[in-house]
Formats: sequence, structure tokens, C-alpha cells
Amino acid sequence: MKFRDKTILVTGASRGIGAALAKAFAAEGGLVIVNYRRSEAAAQAVVEACRAAGGQALAIAADVTVPEEVAAMVAVIGEEAGRIDAVVNNAFAPYVFDPDDRARFWETPWSAYQAQVDGALKATYHVCQAVLPLMRQRGRGAIVNMASDLVARPSIAYHDYTTAKAALIGFSRNLATELGPLGIRVNCVAPGLVYPTDASRGTREAVKDMLIAQTPLGRIATPEDVAGPVLFLASDWSGFVTGQTLHVDGGLVMS
Amino acid sequence: MTEFAGHLPGLSTEEVEWRVLDFAAWGESVQVSVPVLSEAQSLALAARVRENARAYLKTRSVAQIVATLDKAVARLLDRDDPWRRKAEALLPIVTGYDAETVRLGLSGYLRTFRAPQLQRFLAEDFANPAVLDAFQPAMKGGFTRAHGPELLLHVWAGNVPGLPLWSLISGLLVKAGTVGKVASAEPLLAGWFARVLGEIDPRMGECLAIVWWKGGDADSEQVWLDQADTVVAFGGNAALTAIRDRAPVTARFLAHGHKIGFGLVSAAALDTRRAGPLARLVAHDVMRYEQQGCYAPQMLFVERGGKISPRDFAEQVSRELAGFARRHPRRALSVAEAAGVASWRNAEEMRAFDGEGRVVLGDAADPWSVVLVEEAEPLAPSGLNRTLKIVAVDRLDDVIPLIAPFRAFLQSAAVAATPEELFRIAALLGEAGVTRICAFGRMTAPEAGWHNDGRFNLLDLVTITEIEQSAELAAEGFADYVD
Ligand SMILES: NC(=O)c1ccc[n+]([C@@H]2O[C@H](COP(=O)([O-])OP(=O)(O)OC[C@H]3O[C@@H](n4cnc5c(N)ncnc54)[C@H](OP(=O)(O)O)[C@@H]3O)[C@@H](O)[C@H]2O)c1
Repeated sequence: MKFRDKTILVTGASRGIGAALAKAFAAEGGLVIVNYRRSEAAAQAVVEACRAAGGQALAIAADVTVPEEVAAMVAVIGEEAGRIDAVVNNAFAPYVFDPDDRARFWETPWSAYQAQVDGALKATYHVCQAVLPLMRQRGRGAIVNMASDLVARPSIAYHDYTTAKAALIGFSRNLATELGPLGIRVNCVAPGLVYPTDASRGTREAVKDMLIAQTPLGRIATPEDVAGPVLFLASDWSGFVTGQTLHVDGGLVMS
Repeated sequence: MTEFAGHLPGLSTEEVEWRVLDFAAWGESVQVSVPVLSEAQSLALAARVRENARAYLKTRSVAQIVATLDKAVARLLDRDDPWRRKAEALLPIVTGYDAETVRLGLSGYLRTFRAPQLQRFLAEDFANPAVLDAFQPAMKGGFTRAHGPELLLHVWAGNVPGLPLWSLISGLLVKAGTVGKVASAEPLLAGWFARVLGEIDPRMGECLAIVWWKGGDADSEQVWLDQADTVVAFGGNAALTAIRDRAPVTARFLAHGHKIGFGLVSAAALDTRRAGPLARLVAHDVMRYEQQGCYAPQMLFVERGGKISPRDFAEQVSRELAGFARRHPRRALSVAEAAGVASWRNAEEMRAFDGEGRVVLGDAADPWSVVLVEEAEPLAPSGLNRTLKIVAVDRLDDVIPLIAPFRAFLQSAAVAATPEELFRIAALLGEAGVTRICAFGRMTAPEAGWHNDGRFNLLDLVTITEIEQSAELAAEGFADYVD
């Protein structure tokens, strides 16, 4: 029970990887804050699943790109739990991965980049700012940011998405440097294609087969595959690890 | 494992009664046998030490004594020396301090007692240290000579390894027949030092004894107090009062009571580059010896207006203490000590709950505790064992009224400030009663020849014999070469 008496905020936890993470934290005894934007019913279902798994959970709606909503959410956490031990910045601006019909660079307007930077980086920025006072007071905390292995290996050029994730990795390293002396660790988890989630549901078999053929562990990640590395980086098992990006893609990227 | 404490020249192990003190820490244990002397044995020992010192120590030159002390210190600095190995192996178990703290601390102390440092120590107190060897011409005319006590009794307290060496070595430098009473919390090192001296110079080894009695055992204490012409005692005010009241009025009584160290950090020291390293030094002083020494910081005053706020700085110090908790784990606390820490933290948490401007950092279960207070608050003891209160002030000068009422408890203050600020604030601190101003990182390691509690530690021990000019001139009149 690695997360007994610990409070973990997972953003974008109503579906996909976030939902799997929430359940995994709950199974380790944690109090999980299931953040979502719109999918209230799905979020409630995750809360139920968390309780069934042996943890506690609380769903809080907040658009993580809006600072006021983030602040209000963290205020509720402060009142309910009084502490935040770990944050997983997982929420993710809707994006369609379609290798057959992706936008090439000259078809990609700056607004597309901006939307992804806002979705990945700005949201993470606001959440980190908001949780910082709670973490600083206790001189400890772990932040895990969801990146993508596409940064290290853009097998397919999703310019806007991957650029924003690359910015997120740079952001995380700087934050790790700044917050290390305060006892707060910042790391990234960079999954390869994770299937199935709503974002990856449309991925064609041929694409999956191509990836599988090049992946030493010979398959595509499931949302549950991402949980172990995230829990590791969120726990004191990784107490001396910060500023790192952990690839979870069956060995497709090696660095 | 059993280790015999003390140093009893002329008494064999068999003829002495021993009491066993049990120590355990870091998964190991050791039994230390401390001597319980009968009154007759104590009296005989006192007489022997006094006589040996008269017949030998007082005939040696200060330079010779310095050379012998230097050799003994060198032995204890040598990590391959059997005594040093024994110290490194046993003192962590006896004191509970982690092995690294003991090792670094011992070397740090001992380094301040090498020959050059001892010479500096002498020079600090005597314009001409040769007054300890023979009559020297005085500026005002006539001649002076300094004599150390015939029998100097040290009553040591606490468990910081090496601390007794300060006064022990001071006494030997002024050629005093020396008896040291070790504290039950650390009964070993002084005796080892005496035995090393005895190995180097057996006759010198017979000029000092290291004894023990249970603190507060008035009968045993009285026997020794009656024998000593000078008493140097360490401890809390109650214990010191008890000893002073029993010491003969004719004895010179020198007390070193409890003190509360503190630090001042100027806004000038608080930028994003320099605050981090400074926080580490502060944490080091808090961590080293768990604030058991008189010079350890228990409170920090931090000036507002720097790029790093007092709150930011408090967080950094707290984090550095977290780092030290791994490198130098806190020793296991006794029930009473743990309660002391907990009640200090609880009280601060209650007050933080009641009012704004007070933050208790970290978790209750952490083996350290930092509290930040935004309102001015007077100097007060912390819960010890890595507990620190950080008080934000608008100007460094605001600190003076916060410490001035506690003159009797003032001794060491660390200052991080610009040169102008240092000298200005040092003047104010000195007026208020602070006797030692040092850098952060050095609070627990006073420099060679420091004046403990602002006293001339060697001069305080001696009496001066003066040949007045009249005697000299009169003698001229009786010379056989007189015209
Ligand atoms: N799936 C993959 O192949 C893959 C690969 C590598 C990395 N990743 C990364 O893994 C993370 C999760 O991906 P996923 O596939 O699990 O996503 P997903 O299934 O599309 O789920 C997205 C989640 O984010 C929430 N969300 C979106 N915008 C939000 C906002 N502004 N405020 C709060 N919540 C918001 C959604 O809440 P609602 O349900 O309320 O809309 C939902 O819970 C992302 O960071 C993604 O980049 C995914």
C-alpha cells in the first residue's frame, strides 16, 4: 500500500490513461482526485472503481487550461485532504492521431500549435503553480507530466502535438532544477501509442502492426502499462530521481 | 564489549569499584565501566596528582607541554591509530551521533589543538607566554609570573565528543594538576586522551586524572570540591548553582552555563544564487550534534527585502535538513527528548492554527522541524534535535531588542551580511552580550584560541605573582656587589 494516507491529483482522469492511473493509485491505498472537464458520469464511474479497488476518490470538474478553475479545485483539495503528495498532469486537449490524413507542416497553422501548447504546457503550468504552496509547506511532492515518445522519435510528424510535448519536457526539466532544492521532484512519462483510449481508438491496424514490428517487446501499450512507471515516479521509490523522462513504449525508443 | 572509562594514575583496575553504564545505538551496544572511587581513594588520587604536577608538570616549559599535547592530538587525528579507531567505533554507540558526524567532528576539534593553534591559544591570553615558565619583566616595572592551579577540577556535561578537551587542554597549558569529571552521557574521550598523553610522556600522564561520579551525587562531588583550588563547571544553571554552593569560598569557580545560539541573515545574502548554499550551511549548524552544544543555533532572524523571502529561505533550510537527515541521520531520541521535540512542534502548530503569519514546515514525522514566524518574536530555546524557528524581521537592527533581555544566555551568533553590516551589527550584538560572532557553517566549530563565553580561558585559570619594583630595588641594596 504505497499510497496509503497520500493524496494524488490526476488531471484528465475520467477516461483513458488517466482513469487507469486513478484506479492504480487507489489500489495502492491512495486518496485520488479524479479531475475531468465534462465527462461527469465517466468520472463518477472512475471514483466508484477507485473505491472498489480499496482507495478513496473524489471527482472534481475543472478545465485545467483555466487558472481560476484550477485554483478552485486545489482549494477544495486543500480543504478535503489538506495535502497533495503527487500530481499527474495527464489531461490532454482533444487531438486526432490519423497517420493517413495528418496535417503536414505547411498545412499546420500557428493556431494549431498554440492549441496544443495551451493544452499540454499551459494546463500543466497552471496546475503546478496551484499545487506548489501545498507541496512547499511540507517540503515534498512529486509531479509527473505525461509526454510522448514521439518527442524522441517522431515516427509520424504530428507537428503541433509533439512540439507541445517537447516543450513540456523542457518545462519539466527546468522545474525539476528549481524545485529539487525544495524537495519536489518533477519527471515525465513518455508512452508510445497507448491503445485503446479515445485518442487512439481510430488508429489503423496497419499502423499498429508497423509499430509492433519495431517494438522489442512486440506489442502496443495498454493504459495499465503506463500506471507502473507513473506510480513509481510519484512514490518515494524514485526519491532520488528528478528531471527524467521515462519511456513506456516496449523499447521502441531507447535513450 | 566492555570499555573502561577514566584515568586513575596509581590505582589499579582491581582495587577500584566499577559501575557499568549501558549504551546502545545504530544496532550495536557497548558497556562502559566507570570508576566509583571511595573517599580515601579520591583523596589519595588528588594528593598524587597535585604532587606529580608540582614535581613534574610545573617544571616543564610551556613549549614542551605544547609539544607533548601536539603529539597526543596527532595520535587521535591519525585514523589508523588504535585510540582513534576505538573512538570512531565506540563514540557513535555511546553518543548516538552517526559515525560520520563523530568522525568529522572529532577531526574538526582536534585540528584546533595542534601546536600552532595551541601557540595561538596561548598568545591570545598572554602577551608573553613565557610568564608561565619564569618571571618576566613587566611594562610597569618589576617582574611577573603566572601560576596555574595546583589542583584544577573540571566538571563536564553533555555528550558532544571532544568538548571536554577545550578545558582539559587549557588546564594543562597552565600546568595545572588536573582532575576531570566526565559526564555519564560521554564518559570516554577525556580518559582516552589522558591515556594517550601517558603513553607519550608517562610522567605527564600522572599529572592528571579522569574520574566519574553520578551527576548530583553530592557526597562524591564534595570530596573533590574540597580538594580543588579552581573549579571549571559546565551545565545548566541549577546544576551549576548546586556545585558553586558546595565549592569552598577560597576556590575559584568558573561556570559555563547553558547558552542559546542564533543566527542573522541579511537581505543582502538572499539572492537566488547565494541563498541555497547559505541554507545548507544553516542546516549544517542545526544538524551537527543535534543542537546539544552551547553554540548551536536555535533561532534564526532573517531580514525581509531580499529576492528570497524569509519564507522561501525557511523552506530551503527545511529541505537542506531533509537532505542531512539522509547523510547524517538524527540519533535516536530518548523518550524525554522526543517529547520535547513533539511538544515544541505541537505548540507551534497550535499557534499557526490560531493566527496568520506562522507556518510549520514539513511533516510531524520528519526528523527535523522548521517554523517560520512573520511577527517579531524574542529569542527562545527550540525543541533541540534539529528544530529551528526562523523569525522574519524588517531590519537586522530589530533583532537586538529581541535578544537583549537574555544576556545570560547569549554566546554565539552567526551572521551572513555585507562587511559594513557585519561590523555595525556586531557592535550591537556585543553590547547585548554576544561573545562570539562567526559564519554560518562554523557555529559548532569555534576557532582555535576562542574565548569561550567571552572569557580569557587561560588567564582565568592563573594567578599572577608580581615582584614589585620596590622589591627589586630593595634587593639591589642587599647585593654583595653593592657599592
Ligand atoms: N493515447 C495515446 O496513444 C498516448 C500516447 C502518448 C501519450 N499520451 C498522453 O497521455 C495522456 C492521456 O491520453 P489519453 O489518450 O488517455 O486521453 P483521452 O482518452 O483523450 O482522455 C483525455 C482526458 O483529459 C481530460 N481533459 C481534456 N481536456 C481537459 C481540460 N482542459 N481540463 C481537464 N480535463 C481535460 C478529459 O476529460 P473529459 O472526459 O471530461 O473530456 C479526459 O479525462 C495525454 O497527455 C496524452 O498526450 C497518450
